[in-house]
Amino acid sequence: MQGEVRLEGLTKRFPDEVVAVDGIDLTMPPGEFFTMVGPSGCGKTTTLRMIAGFERPTSGRILLDGLDVAQIPPHKRSVNTVFQSYALFPHLDVARNVEFGLKYKRLTKQERRLRVAEALDLVQLGGYAGRRPSQLSGGQQQRVALARALVLTPRVLLLDEPLGALDARLRKDLQVELKALQAELGITFVFVTHDQEEALTMSDRVAVMSAGRVEQAGTPREVYEEPATVFVADFLGVSNLITAEAEADGEGCALRIGERSLRAARGDTGARGEVKAMIRPERIGVEAQDAPGENRLPGMVERAVYVGTAHELHVRLVGGDLVKATIPNDGSVPAFAQGAPVTLHLPADAVRVLAPRPG
Amino acid sequence: MSRLRNPWGRPRGLVLVTAVYVLWSIVPVAVAILFAFNDGRSRTTWQGFSTRWFTGATGSVFHDAALQSSLKHTLLLGVLCVLVATPLGVALALGLQRWRGAGSGSVNTVMLLPLVTPEIVMGVALLLLFLKIFPGIGLGTTAQVIGQVTFTLSYVVVIVRGRLVSIGRDYEEVAADLGAPPRDQLLRVLLPLLAPAIVASAAVVFAISIDDFVVTQYLSSDASTTTVSMLLYSSARGAPTPALNALATVALVITLATLALAFLVYRRFAGGSDAAVAAALEV
Amino acid sequence: MMGSRWTWRLLALPGVAWLSVFFLVALYAVVSVAFGNQNTLSEPVPFWNPLDWNVGYVLTVLRDIGSGGQYLTVFLRTFLFVGVALALSLAIGYPVAYYAARHTGRWRGLVLLALVLPFWINYLMRMLAWINLLGPGGWGTIVLHDVGIERLFIWLGLLSERGGWLDGQPTTVIIALVYGYVPFLILPLFASLDRIDQRQIEAARDLGASPFQAFRRVTLPLSLPGILAGSVLIALPMFGDYYTPDLVCASAKCNMIGNQIDQFTRQGSEKVTGAVLTLLLALVLLVLMAYYLRSTRSADADLRAGEA
Repeated sequence: MQGEVRLEGLTKRFPDEVVAVDGIDLTMPPGEFFTMVGPSGCGKTTTLRMIAGFERPTSGRILLDGLDVAQIPPHKRSVNTVFQSYALFPHLDVARNVEFGLKYKRLTKQERRLRVAEALDLVQLGGYAGRRPSQLSGGQQQRVALARALVLTPRVLLLDEPLGALDARLRKDLQVELKALQAELGITFVFVTHDQEEALTMSDRVAVMSAGRVEQAGTPREVYEEPATVFVADFLGVSNLITAEAEADGEGCALRIGERSLRAARGDTGARGEVKAMIRPERIGVEAQDAPGENRLPGMVERAVYVGTAHELHVRLVGGDLVKATIPNDGSVPAFAQGAPVTLHLPADAVRVLAPRPG
Repeated sequence: MSRLRNPWGRPRGLVLVTAVYVLWSIVPVAVAILFAFNDGRSRTTWQGFSTRWFTGATGSVFHDAALQSSLKHTLLLGVLCVLVATPLGVALALGLQRWRGAGSGSVNTVMLLPLVTPEIVMGVALLLLFLKIFPGIGLGTTAQVIGQVTFTLSYVVVIVRGRLVSIGRDYEEVAADLGAPPRDQLLRVLLPLLAPAIVASAAVVFAISIDDFVVTQYLSSDASTTTVSMLLYSSARGAPTPALNALATVALVITLATLALAFLVYRRFAGGSDAAVAAALEV
Repeated sequence: MMGSRWTWRLLALPGVAWLSVFFLVALYAVVSVAFGNQNTLSEPVPFWNPLDWNVGYVLTVLRDIGSGGQYLTVFLRTFLFVGVALALSLAIGYPVAYYAARHTGRWRGLVLLALVLPFWINYLMRMLAWINLLGPGGWGTIVLHDVGIERLFIWLGLLSERGGWLDGQPTTVIIALVYGYVPFLILPLFASLDRIDQRQIEAARDLGASPFQAFRRVTLPLSLPGILAGSVLIALPMFGDYYTPDLVCASAKCNMIGNQIDQFTRQGSEKVTGAVLTLLLALVLLVLMAYYLRSTRSADADLRAGEA
C-alpha cells in the first residue's frame, strides 16, 4: 500500500463560484505512473495542487495510503512536487537547493551530503553541485527540481507539466528518462499534462479530464481504443465522428448513415436514435469508387495531405461529414488524389458507437 | 516592444530641446557646486579654486558649529528614519500583498494617501498632532523622525510590493512542499529573495529623509533640530558664504553615494537595470 | 505562504496602526482645530467632538472668500501660478519625455540618468542655485541681460526692473516652479510614452499617416493618461508650495496659499485660521487626489491580480 492515492468526491469551488473540480473519484495505484490529462481549465492542475496541499478542497477526501490528508498542511505531507516553473531557489546553489528539505529530517550533515550526491547522480547531474540555477539550462533545472523532490524519498511524486517549457526534442528525451526513473524507483508518479501524446506514451494509467470531471480513467490502450465518450475519443489522437441513426440489428447495432448502413460492433451498441460513430483514421480502408462489400461508404477526396509518415486523405461523405483516413507511406504513389471519388471501408469492429451524453 | 530608432527622419528638434533641457536642469546646480570650491566669499564671482569652505579653519562645513550641527542632525534623522520605516514598511508590504478579504482596499488607500498629500497639509497636521494630542512628545527630533517615517513608509511598501509580485508565490509553495513550516518559508526563502528590494527601499528612504524640508521644518523645535534643508532655506536670501554651497554639496554627495550603492546592490541581486529604473520611477 | 489569513493581517498591523495614529489622527487634528477656537494665549483649542464644533473661524474665511477678500485673491493667484507653471512644464516636459522614450538608442541610459538626477538633488539646493544665478551680478542675470531676454520680459510686463529677478516678481516664481517640478512630470510622462507599442505607430504610418498625424492620432491619445497622471502628480505639491515663492520672491505680491498657511500656522499665532485654510486647500485638492488614487488603484489591482 505504499504510495496509493485515492480521491473520493473531491470538489473545489473557488470564491467566484467557479467549480474547478467537481466531485471526482480516482484511484492511483501504488508504484504506477499515473497521468491526468485534459485541456486547459479541466481541473487537473487544481486536483494536483489539492493532493500537494496548496489548495484546500471544498469537500471530499484525499487518501494517502488510507489516511485522509485533506486538512494536513503541505509541509507535513509525504508527497513532493515538481513545479512547471521548477522554482529553484535563485539565492542557493544546486547542492543547497537539493538539500533544502533534508534539513527537516533528522540527519547529520554527512548524511545530508551523501543523499544530495546520490540524488544528483540519479538525475545525471553529478558534477553540478556548485552551480547556480541561473547557470543551468531548462532541462538541467528541471532535473535539479526532480532531485530536490526525490531526495526526500516521498511516497508519491507530483509533477505539474514539468516538460511544458522545453523544446520538442528535449521533451522527448526527458519523457523517456522520467519514465525510466519512475520504473527504477518504484514511486508513484502523478503526472499532469495537456499533451495527450505525452500522456499515452508515458503512463501506466491515464485519467482524461474535462470541465472538472473525469471523463474516463484506464490504461492508455483502454482510453485510446475504447473511448467512453465523444470527448475522450476526440481528445486522444484523431478521431472521426460521424453522425448516424442507431437501430437494432440482430446481435449488434446497425448505423444508418444517409442511405447506407454500417454494422458497429463496439461501444454503446444498445443505444438507439442519434449517435456518433467513431473510427480512428488508421483503421479506415480506402478503396476505389463503388467497391463492393458491407460497411462501405462513398465519398470524395477533398484534400490529400502528405505528412511524411503517411498520407492523410480528407474525404467528404455523401451525408456531409468530413472524414480523415490515413494510409501509411510505403513509398508508392498514392492511388487517390484530390477530387477522386472513393469508397471508404469501415470495419465493424473498428467502429465504436458513442451515445450522446444525457443533458 | 522594440526600441527601434525612428526610421522616418532624424528628430533634430527633439534632440536639441532635450539637450537644452538637460543643461538647463543641471548647469545651475553645477555652478552652485563649483562655487563651493571658490577661494573667496563671493558666490557669484569666481576667485580661484579652494577647499576652504569644506575643511578650512573657520566658517567651513567641518569647523562651523551651525553647519556641522545641521549636517549631523540631518544624518541622524536619516538613519533613524530608515531604521523605523524599513521594517515597518516591509511588514506592511507583506501583510498588504497577501491580505485577502475585507479591509485590504481601505488599508491600501490609507497607505497611498501620504504619497498624494501635499507636504504643507502633512506639516500642519503633524504640527497640530504634536502640539495638541501628543504634547508629551512635543516638537523636536522624535517628532521629526515620526513625521518622516509617516510619509516614507509608503515608498517602502510600494517598492517591496513591486518585488513581491515579481517573486510570486511559487518559491514559498516549493519550500512548503519540501517540508518548511510557514516561518521558514519566510526566513529561508522569501526574505533572502526580498533583500535587494529592502536595501533599495532603505536607500530611498534615506535619500528622501535627507532632502526633506517641510515636515522636518514644521516639527523642529529649536536650533539644535535644524537640518541642512532648513539651513539652506533660512540662509539663502541672506548673504551666505560659499560654505552653504559646500554644505549642500556634501549632502548631495552623501545622497547620490547611497543611491548608487543601492542601485548596484539591487542590480547585482535582483537582475536587470530595468528593475532599478522602474524602482526609481515608482518614486 | 501557507500561513493563516491572520498571519498576514498581523504583519500589516504595526504599519496600519502607525498610519492611523500619525496620519489619520493628524488629519483629524486639522479638522478639529479648524472647527475649534483660540484661547487668550493665542493657542488653538481643538474641538474633538463634531457636535461641539465652532464654525466661527470657518465662516470668517468663507465670507472673506465669498466677498472677494484677501483669501480669495491668494487662492486665485495660486491657481494662476500653478496653471501657468503646469502648462509650461508640459510644454517643456512632453518633448523631452517623448525623445527619451521613443528615440534614444545608445544614449538611453545616460539620458535617463540625466532625467532622474534632479529627483535626488535637494529641492532647496536647486532653488539656491537659481538664487545664486539670478541675484545681482549673478551669471544668470548677466546672461539674461546680454541675450536680450531681460528687455523682452520688461517689455512684456513680466519683469518690473532690470536685474530685479528676485525682487518680488511673480514671473520668477513661476519659472522657479517650473524648474523645480518639471523633472517630476517628465518621468511619469516618460513611463507612459515608453509603454506605447511602437508597432501601433508603425501600423498608423503603414496605413498612410504622416509622422505628425501618427503622433496626433495615435501617440498623443495613448499618452493622455500619462499626461493627466503626471499633471496631477506635480499640481498637488505645487498647490501647497510656500518655500519657492518665499525664496525667489519674498513679497506679499507672490503669496500662494501655502505661504498664507505657513504664516498663520508655523510663523504666527493664528493657527486656527491656518487650519481652516489647510482644510480648505485639502478639500480643493481632494478631487485631484481621488483621481490619482483611483488610477493608481487600478494599476495596483493589476499588481495583486498578477500575483494571484
